Amino acid sequence: MTDSDRFPLLTDEGRRLLRRLREHPRAPKYTAQCGNRLTADYLRRVRAFESELRASPRGWPPGALPHWLDDFVEMCFRDVPFYRRYGDRPLQFADLPTTTRADLSREIWSFVPDSQPLDDLIWYATSGATGHPLTILSHPVAGACYTPLLKLALTRHKVELTSGAGQVACILVGWQKRAYTYPSITPQQNDAGHIKLNLHPDDWRRPDDRAPFLDDCNPEIYTGDPIAFAELLQLPLRSRPRALISTAMMLLPELRRRLESHFGCPVVDVYSMNETGPVAVRDPDMETWTLLQPGLFVEILDSDGNPCPIGRRGEVTLTGGFNPFLPLLRYRTNDFAALDYRGDQPVLIGLEGRRPVLFRSADGHAISTLDVTAALKPFALPQFALHQFADGALHLRLRNGAAADDSQLRAALTPLFGVTQTLTIEHVDSFGDKTLNYTTDLSPTTQPPNP
Amino acid sequence: MKDAMNAEGPPLESLTRRLAECPPEFLDEPRIGKKGRVSVAAVVGDLLVELGGGPLAPSQADAFEPGEGNKDRNRLRLILIACWMLHDSWFRERRAFAHSALRLLSTGLNESAELTPASKFIADSDRREELARLCLGALGLRPAGESEAQAQDRLATLNTAERQRVIRAAREAEARAQQIREAMARKAAEEAADKWGRE
Repeated sequence: MTDSDRFPLLTDEGRRLLRRLREHPRAPKYTAQCGNRLTADYLRRVRAFESELRASPRGWPPGALPHWLDDFVEMCFRDVPFYRRYGDRPLQFADLPTTTRADLSREIWSFVPDSQPLDDLIWYATSGATGHPLTILSHPVAGACYTPLLKLALTRHKVELTSGAGQVACILVGWQKRAYTYPSITPQQNDAGHIKLNLHPDDWRRPDDRAPFLDDCNPEIYTGDPIAFAELLQLPLRSRPRALISTAMMLLPELRRRLESHFGCPVVDVYSMNETGPVAVRDPDMETWTLLQPGLFVEILDSDGNPCPIGRRGEVTLTGGFNPFLPLLRYRTNDFAALDYRGDQPVLIGLEGRRPVLFRSADGHAISTLDVTAALKPFALPQFALHQFADGALHLRLRNGAAADDSQLRAALTPLFGVTQTLTIEHVDSFGDKTLNYTTDLSPTTQPPNP
Repeated sequence: MKDAMNAEGPPLESLTRRLAECPPEFLDEPRIGKKGRVSVAAVVGDLLVELGGGPLAPSQADAFEPGEGNKDRNRLRLILIACWMLHDSWFRERRAFAHSALRLLSTGLNESAELTPASKFIADSDRREELARLCLGALGLRPAGESEAQAQDRLATLNTAERQRVIRAAREAEARAQQIREAMARKAAEEAADKWGRE
């Protein structure tokens, strides 16, 4: 693949910026080449998506369905092999079967509509750390649509991106042993630059190059996860972004506070997954999550697959999406939240990106993970995992360098679990790419009843 | 094995018309586990009593009360449609078909349910005729005015045409799946496309 394949619309200014980012004397050791692959037609589609995002009303009235849903379900039953196998379309939407990550993992090709051309199909594998390993089929337009979605998320925090040609709009930071890193140009942001990079020192010719390079790029925003942001805090950066967008992992409030105070900008939490892209943004009130995609219907289902009433927690289940290779019909995300309304807008509340685990206190009471999260609120933990063994013993793993004292952590957890509950704390170098924050060996039958 | 069609049944047209007029109650979602609204076991049980049989024993009801999942949905929907057809007064008045109807409903519709969405047995005239003939055959009957050979021959023709349609559709679906898998294999070595976020 050449640059003209990677960047079909590359302008002279874009070429100059790309060259600067690639050949910068303090640039990281990029591990890959990757471009936007946007043709003029594809860019038109991304811009149309952005216009729709700004113009279309999102949401649906309580108890009703979005106006586009009927046509979407009809298309799925007519055009998508997996859904066609359901047989007759049920008369009521709530009678449609649900799908899971295991279904996608088993036969992702069966979710591609018959009418979808296979030109420019791209695919990438996702980690299996939170479930079944998954191959996602996608399209350059779908990848490019992340930009307007994240920009919309930023507007909830009163940030409007203004960068253009010759400037860097966004740096996606990671902190991993090995990562896929590259510089790119973003035509849907006026040819501004985008860099995917790894803050791990091994990915740089000199670790001291990190701060000067980032300062020289001076991106309008950083996107990334709490681990990378915790590393970013350690760098002697002079430049200040206009926002940080955190995805992929739970961001604890104290780390958010530190980031906001250090960088003097909002830290925007975005609920996003490979299967759908960005779904919702956490509002400045910290309580509600505003939905981002007008073409994505969100239901909350109980364990029997029945819709939960407004305000009751259940599994976030999604229908629709903007990836033409993966139309989702009642896709159970394994993430949990309640749906509520603010005015006429549906919002998510109490979102936690994992199956709710109930812990057990020493005297047998159920403890919600939300309570544990609240107890850990004062600590700036970029990454942690709490596990409860079948005998009730607790094991807390923290990433090395976490700014937290073991005795303080014990003092925070003891009131919840009781003084007699065993708690071991381990500091680890790495968790792998993605971690479940809460796990238990207590089986559903031995778990205490829901509080 | 073919069912013997020794006795003359009702006119075929009366059954196909009845199928075309299947009321919405029989098309509602069958209860599967904790989902759905229509208890298929209850509908079958009521029908068998009307056909001269006793109530459905718990072991007999199992076939109509699957635990969960979607795999039995089409079969149960087809059973409900067949129940509606067999509720015709011609069958009820004779009070002689409970045993053979139970056999038909328990296992005799499985193959059809695997091949064809249940709603086609209402919406499509050939499928209506096929279901009417299939049910008659399972009850040892042939349509009024037909010889047994004619009835067997016509049922086989309908069944074969449907099978061929299903085989063609399955071949097309497999060819498309293969195209996608090949495209994935070709693209494996290629680069992806840029996006601003990660999950």
